[in-house]
Amino acid sequence: MALRSLDLPGVGTKYEFETDKGDTVAIFFTKTGGIQMYTLQKGCKTPSAAEMSPVEARRLGNILTGAIIEADQESVEIAFSALADLRITIHTFFVTAAVVGKTIEELQIRAKTGATVIAVCRHDRNIINPPPTFVFEQGDAALVIGESDQIKTFESEIMVK
Amino acid sequence: MESLIVALFVCLILALVTKYLSIPAIPFYILAGVLLGKAGGGLLTNNDVSQFFSEMGLIFLLFFMGLGLKPERIASNRAAVLTSGIIDLNVNMIIGFASAYLLGFSFTESLIIAAAFYISSTAMALTSLIENRKLMLRESDTVIWLMVFEDLVLILFLAILSAGNQNLIIFFVKIIAVLGVLYALAHYGKEFLVSILDRDDELPILFTFAAVLTTASFSMYLGVPETMMVIALGVAFATTDPDAFEQHARPFKDVFLVVFFVFFGVTVDFSGGANWFVIGAISLLAVASKLISGLLTGIFIHGSALSGLEIWANTIARGEFSIALAVLYGSPVVSTTIAAMVIVTSIVGSFMAKYSGILRRGIVSRNRHKASQRRIH
Repeated sequence: MALRSLDLPGVGTKYEFETDKGDTVAIFFTKTGGIQMYTLQKGCKTPSAAEMSPVEARRLGNILTGAIIEADQESVEIAFSALADLRITIHTFFVTAAVVGKTIEELQIRAKTGATVIAVCRHDRNIINPPPTFVFEQGDAALVIGESDQIKTFESEIMVK
Repeated sequence: MESLIVALFVCLILALVTKYLSIPAIPFYILAGVLLGKAGGGLLTNNDVSQFFSEMGLIFLLFFMGLGLKPERIASNRAAVLTSGIIDLNVNMIIGFASAYLLGFSFTESLIIAAAFYISSTAMALTSLIENRKLMLRESDTVIWLMVFEDLVLILFLAILSAGNQNLIIFFVKIIAVLGVLYALAHYGKEFLVSILDRDDELPILFTFAAVLTTASFSMYLGVPETMMVIALGVAFATTDPDAFEQHARPFKDVFLVVFFVFFGVTVDFSGGANWFVIGAISLLAVASKLISGLLTGIFIHGSALSGLEIWANTIARGEFSIALAVLYGSPVVSTTIAAMVIVTSIVGSFMAKYSGILRRGIVSRNRHKASQRRIH
């Protein structure tokens, strides 16, 4: 699979690659702000197209990376293929009764699971890199980063329902 | 002032309707100008304010064109750009010039008409490719690069036409000197420019507006026309952060250009002494000659006449640049002819671009049908 990217004057940027089975996928980020995805089946002459907004495109991207998306809690997996296929997952959790009123330090999140809380969303305000003394409140949404196994441990050990 | 408000309001409605129907708005802006101007009892009249707005529209259109021209991109795609570009230039300039001259226009008028006849609308071609979801077609790349080539030729035209009585060599030396100075300013002031563009306040947009207007005003002292000055500024700024400049110049371009189209329509007079035969002939030939150049390009580049049909469908529409030529250098008769050509070609073009897929499939299945019949006999 060879990915080609091309700058088209006045139109935007084009990414195109051919799959091992001979189908072609092309993505265009147009200057008008939309994202168009074309697929061309092997041996076929006319491509089919879908136009997406940036939000829709990100959703599609999340699905394609294999991350499970639920209505509120979603996770994104990023793969760095140059770094020995390093995979990092970022997952959002709504805090459960088990952690409300406790600090990150008390919960021993890093020691028990290996995952890290990198941000907390509280009343539409974001707290980036909360300190160990940070106390969870009812209604918080926590953004947790780690390997997918660490995220699973976090879900079963810390965010007990 | 009332004229301008009426014009803006009409355009707002037209923009809403045309966007809803996804058809190009430019021909309708011009038609609105024609209908509300001289022909429509003079509801719209040209005045100082509209004149200023129109001039700004032209200046920002050309500044934008300059921003989009990144010389290194053209150099990296030379072969493809050259073949299609040269076919397109020769076929359309020759047919355009010959037909205008034979229909009774003077030599200079014929040249202006030929140039307007040749240059397709970049805005309409690119919008049609995006909206009709044709970006993946291999013909789209050809169309996109064709537009880049046409822009370059237009700059050359504008330079030659605006030289007037000046010595061409001195004139070009002046232009190159201006470009050199602007390039140097952009190069050595890059950090400063980028730091201004990155701000969140009114500075970036104020700076962009002021830079374009100041550069345009220098033309008076240098004997280099405004058009050349702002294109050169665009090309020089493209070396810093073209996307930011596009973003900050876009509001000016969008509003002023609409006014430019409407008040161009106002100057057009279809009622008094317009020769309908000439106007009709030029408009139809404009559609036909792009068919010839499109088919040739399709055959030479993609080895298929069907590809040529696709290229044709997306390049029929003439638009902003043809009108710019009419406004800058056209006599009233020439302007009227070009206005009609833009209206006809852009409407025909938008339909062809939308239904070219059906057209191609129709031709393919008819050929198959014929071939199968032949086999039976």
